[in-house]
Amino acid sequence: MNEEQQLKLQALLDSELPEREAREILAWTQRDTAAAALLTELRNTRQAISKFETHPTIPESREFYWSKIERGIQRLEAVPTRASEASIFFRLRRLLLPSTVVAVGLVITGLVEYSRMGTASAMDDSDAPTVEAMADSDATTYQDKADGTTLVWFSVPEDSQSTPAKAPGVAN
Amino acid sequence: MSGKDFTNATDFALVKLARRGNLKAFEELVARHRDKIYARAVSMVRNEDDAIDLSQEAWVKGWQRLKQFQGESSFATWMTRIVINLCLDQLRRQKRHRVESIQEMDDESGGAERQMPVVTVNPTERLERSELRNVIDVALGKLSAEHRTVLVLHEFEEMEYKEIAKTVGCSIGTVMSRLFYARRKMAALLAELKKEK
Repeated sequence: MNEEQQLKLQALLDSELPEREAREILAWTQRDTAAAALLTELRNTRQAISKFETHPTIPESREFYWSKIERGIQRLEAVPTRASEASIFFRLRRLLLPSTVVAVGLVITGLVEYSRMGTASAMDDSDAPTVEAMADSDATTYQDKADGTTLVWFSVPEDSQSTPAKAPGVAN
Repeated sequence: MSGKDFTNATDFALVKLARRGNLKAFEELVARHRDKIYARAVSMVRNEDDAIDLSQEAWVKGWQRLKQFQGESSFATWMTRIVINLCLDQLRRQKRHRVESIQEMDDESGGAERQMPVVTVNPTERLERSELRNVIDVALGKLSAEHRTVLVLHEFEEMEYKEIAKTVGCSIGTVMSRLFYARRKMAALLAELKKEK
């Protein structure tokens, strides 16, 4: 008897064969004593196992057993609260991140421009227009002595993803 | 519904209350079915301490997933499926940590058992029920976790081949092969243990 035949016998016992195949295997067991003996062994074993399952009981009191489950549930209930707190933080961070990137970009551009203008002004004569960033505020000054014009830019603090507005002031 | 009434409530009524956050109702469900859930864990992992931990973990998961319980099966059956899955996870973890011996590889293929002589004696004959229970329990303990699992799911949980394959995560052919091996080995072990008695 090969493996396939053995497994077919078992499938017959477990009612896992299509009707036609089941009839064929059953007929085979009636002709073949070895097949019939194996089928009997499998049947006896199955009956013994399924009828005589042991039913162990928990060696702990109801209260003690429940107490650990209760603690587990309480821990579980605490997790969503922490998760929602964390999600608020992440949402805020998501909003602030692009604004911060824009602000940093502007600062770098400003510094590069300032450095370039500073170099240019050093090379020109004293009557040439000058641009100065004031150290103690967010203001930048453009001064043209020959023309008698002074322009002042005030940087508005960043609070959204839009580019910062600049408020030029003119003094003659 | 007060705490006193819980003993008369149906499982389904208790589930409905527990879904709304009533922990006392859930405690009643645990009290009713805890031994069955524990017994299934013992039959699979064969270790009482692990079985207690796994059954308690199953109850916590049950609470977490109460909304998924649709009442298609009984609450006890639904909980049993949860503990079975936890036991399978535990057995997989154990297997990863275990160095498989040549004996285990041979066990997996079941080659030797296919050639064993057929046991003609009925193992249930001339044995007291309690004796037979004990003998079966000892024999089950001698099977590898893979073979015991398939046997437990088929004989105790009455799962079909297809359902076992889905639960365990293997092919139907593997389920049939493991079940055949497990039964043949059990037949030999039962005959041997019966002789000793």
